[in-house]
Amino acid sequence: MSGVLADRLQFAFTIMFHYLFPIGTMGLAPFVAWYWVKGARGDEDARRAARFWTKIFAINFAAGVVTGIPMEFQFGTNWAGFSAKTGAVVGQPLAMEGVYAFFIESVFLGMLLYGGRAVSTRMRGVAATVVCAGAWLSGFFIVCTNAWMQHPVGYTLSSDGTVHLQSIGALLLSPFAWWQYVHVLVGALVSGGFIVAGVGAYYLLSGREQRLGERFVRGGTIVALVFSLLAIFPTGDRNGADVTRWQPVKLAAMEGLFHSQHGAPLAILGMPDVKAEALIDPVYAPRLLSYLAYGNWEANVRGISSYSRAIVPPVEVTYYAYHVMVGLGTIFVAIAVIAAILLALGRLYTTRAGLWALMLAMPFPYIANEAGWTVSEVGRQPWIVYGLMLTNDAGSSTVAAAETLFTLIGFAGMYFVLGVLFLYLVLREIGLGLGTQA
Amino acid sequence: MTIAAFLLIAFMLLMYVLLDGYDLGLAAAAPLVGRTDGERKALMAAIGPFWNGNEVWLIAAGGVLFALFPKAYAAAFSGFYLPFIIVLWLLMFRGIAMELRGHFESRVWHEFWDASFWLSSALLVVLFGIALGNLLRGLPLDAQGYFRGTFAYLLNGYAILVGLFALVVLVQHGLSFLLLRLEGAPAERARGILPALWGVSLAGYVAVTAMTFVERGLSVELSPLDALPLFSLASLIAFRVLGARRRDTGAFLASCAFIATLLIAAAATLFPYLLPARPLAQGGISIFNAQPGPVALATAFTATIIGLCALGAYASFATRRMMGKLRVER
Ligand code: HDD
Ligand code: HEM
Ligand code: HEM
Repeated sequence: MSGVLADRLQFAFTIMFHYLFPIGTMGLAPFVAWYWVKGARGDEDARRAARFWTKIFAINFAAGVVTGIPMEFQFGTNWAGFSAKTGAVVGQPLAMEGVYAFFIESVFLGMLLYGGRAVSTRMRGVAATVVCAGAWLSGFFIVCTNAWMQHPVGYTLSSDGTVHLQSIGALLLSPFAWWQYVHVLVGALVSGGFIVAGVGAYYLLSGREQRLGERFVRGGTIVALVFSLLAIFPTGDRNGADVTRWQPVKLAAMEGLFHSQHGAPLAILGMPDVKAEALIDPVYAPRLLSYLAYGNWEANVRGISSYSRAIVPPVEVTYYAYHVMVGLGTIFVAIAVIAAILLALGRLYTTRAGLWALMLAMPFPYIANEAGWTVSEVGRQPWIVYGLMLTNDAGSSTVAAAETLFTLIGFAGMYFVLGVLFLYLVLREIGLGLGTQA
Repeated sequence: MTIAAFLLIAFMLLMYVLLDGYDLGLAAAAPLVGRTDGERKALMAAIGPFWNGNEVWLIAAGGVLFALFPKAYAAAFSGFYLPFIIVLWLLMFRGIAMELRGHFESRVWHEFWDASFWLSSALLVVLFGIALGNLLRGLPLDAQGYFRGTFAYLLNGYAILVGLFALVVLVQHGLSFLLLRLEGAPAERARGILPALWGVSLAGYVAVTAMTFVERGLSVELSPLDALPLFSLASLIAFRVLGARRRDTGAFLASCAFIATLLIAAAATLFPYLLPARPLAQGGISIFNAQPGPVALATAFTATIIGLCALGAYASFATRRMMGKLRVER
């Protein structure tokens, strides 16, 4: 195995595992803050809810911290070529994330969790709000890093391929970064909404915690509805537009469009066969792709075969990941709309099938988020920085594939145990219920 | 600017050692001062609110090093691949232990995580010391400044001495922090241990200072920085005197001063190198050949300074609300 392939496997595994937790952090933080703020206004139920979600949040946060540290190390350990050449730019948002976001998060989370009697409920409301802001900020900085790798801006290149920073403003205000960030945040909030609704549904189904169960179902459903709509429009749509404009070959791979075409159709289903350069068993929506990509039903969309093979990303992975994300996104809207209608009719809390659907929906936003990242990261290949630096040139010259494989095995073992413990602890917390202390 | 950036990194690492140092040291000392389950729980509770924030100093220093001196970041992290991964795993393990211990009321569960917590903390401290020792000694680097030696090479006598010295110093630091946070049996035990530990620190201090001069050769021209070891010695003595009078806050500050002067001396010795080559005359990766260009340097520097000032404000606000003594539950 080549060194870079081992590095890619390790990075993919560790980042996909890490990302499970930021989803929860960014998606649940607003609920935690909301319940504390309500609780401070004398709402006893909200205070019990706040305590409950804070416990879950804390477990999730701890797992996020533990799995986040390896991410920061890996830029240096496994991607020394990349770090040495692009550190002038990539280092900026990463440094800012540490200095601006992680400190705030940890200080105020410490206050929220360990404050004891010294910290009033009102102060907890403030602390939880600040933690939420910190989590969202840390998402912003890291997405900014990623956005630069997707669409580099604000830099100059010297003759040996080293990148220099030209303007931090251009980096932080990159339009690519903003739409990507908003979409990522929306994805986390879809997850947060479905988690809260799903936990509420569980309580109602098992006949416990009637009042708070209803409250979770209501709040979660509304959030899930709003943000699953926003995931498609405008944010998903804008991400698609950015890809069309700056990474057209990724678009072709996402859509499984092998040959350039005027009035290109949108493939709803179908399995790409790369050798035959065709989709097997496709279901098409005629001309829709041309319209979505260019706002014109007849526009020409370039197909995979029109690009040099050397810059085409792995087609199958990109295609399937994209279709999983979009398919799930559509299903989320359907579930949330139906749940919201039942809610408006006052029937949701007693419709067991609806509650079951909400409860079983819980894991799927995670899958959609992971699939989305797979689209952007695998679809970016063979570039590590789009158009600027190849992934193959980015590894560490001093680290052998054997070493990376060894550490990958170590990570796999550790994350397996961590994952089991995490699930066990969270499920146990949910099983224990909300407690009586207000 | 480049020199200011060096000072900034050094400052962040110093803060890391002073802050995470006490919780690492306290953890490493836990088997000595915590006997019962309740006492051990109290020891973890003593650092519970702080350790994550303290550890962020390391993460943030890593990020800032990346931005200010990317070539040094790349060379250090990839050149010392296995040691870095081991440090990483220990950091992760320690975090997991802190988070998980309290979730079950089971003696077996508690003992397992207590032991993981001590061991990972003690090993981390020793490894950090070994790393510092190797930097002071210089490393065989190739033309690009990458280390191509083996892991075993790093385990030389001098580096191990520095590693053990680090353990003693931080255990002492951790115990003196403990006196600020806890009352009851663990605190009394800490008071019992500290005088003997102090003797060991003093001996270690003399040995490490002497060996460092041997490794690096005595410089002929004296600079004002050569007075630093005297300040270290003075703070170490002050630590003992204040400790004996039960002036705990003063003793803790003296311990901070001791560590700070040692590290400032180390930074001054290394300057301007981030990764000095061995033999020492051969250069290595210095702040001048590792910096990323004027705009990036100025940006990261300014952003970090602003962020740290803000941190000073809100962290002192939060800490003031949470400091204060805990009691050991039976
Ligand atoms: C619950 C999560 C979720 C849902 C329902 C959707 N997405 Fe998404 N999507 C993400 C979560 C996500 C993500 C994980 O947050 C990604 C990964 C990188 C990014 O920017 O966001 C992403 C990436 C991503 C990309 C790739 C951007 C790139 O390559 O840089 C596109 C084109 C879309 N999305 C478009 C859509 C569309 C048209 C959706 C309509 C249903 C949709 N997404 C639903
Ligand atoms: C936003 C911050 C992120 C940054 C800076 C980042 C950076 C990187 C880097 C440096 C690589 C290795 C080089 C490469 O293969 O191109 C990589 C690969 C990868 N990343 Fe990301 N990543 C980020 C987020 C994510 C997330 C959240 C996920 C998934 C949940 C993800 C999934 C992957 C995958 C699957 C690969 C392997 C792709 C391949 O090699 O084919 N990334 N990313
Ligand atoms: C390769 C890229 C990444 C690196 C280097 C990285 C690094 C880290 C580190 C070091 C931590 C722990 C901070 C602490 O100790 O408090 C952390 C936590 C966190 N990360 Fe990541 N991370 C990456 C990808 C991502 C992505 C893609 C997101 C979201 C879009 C994200 C969002 C967060 C958030 C919100 C936290 C707060 C703690 C938590 O979620 O549990 N990170 N990350």
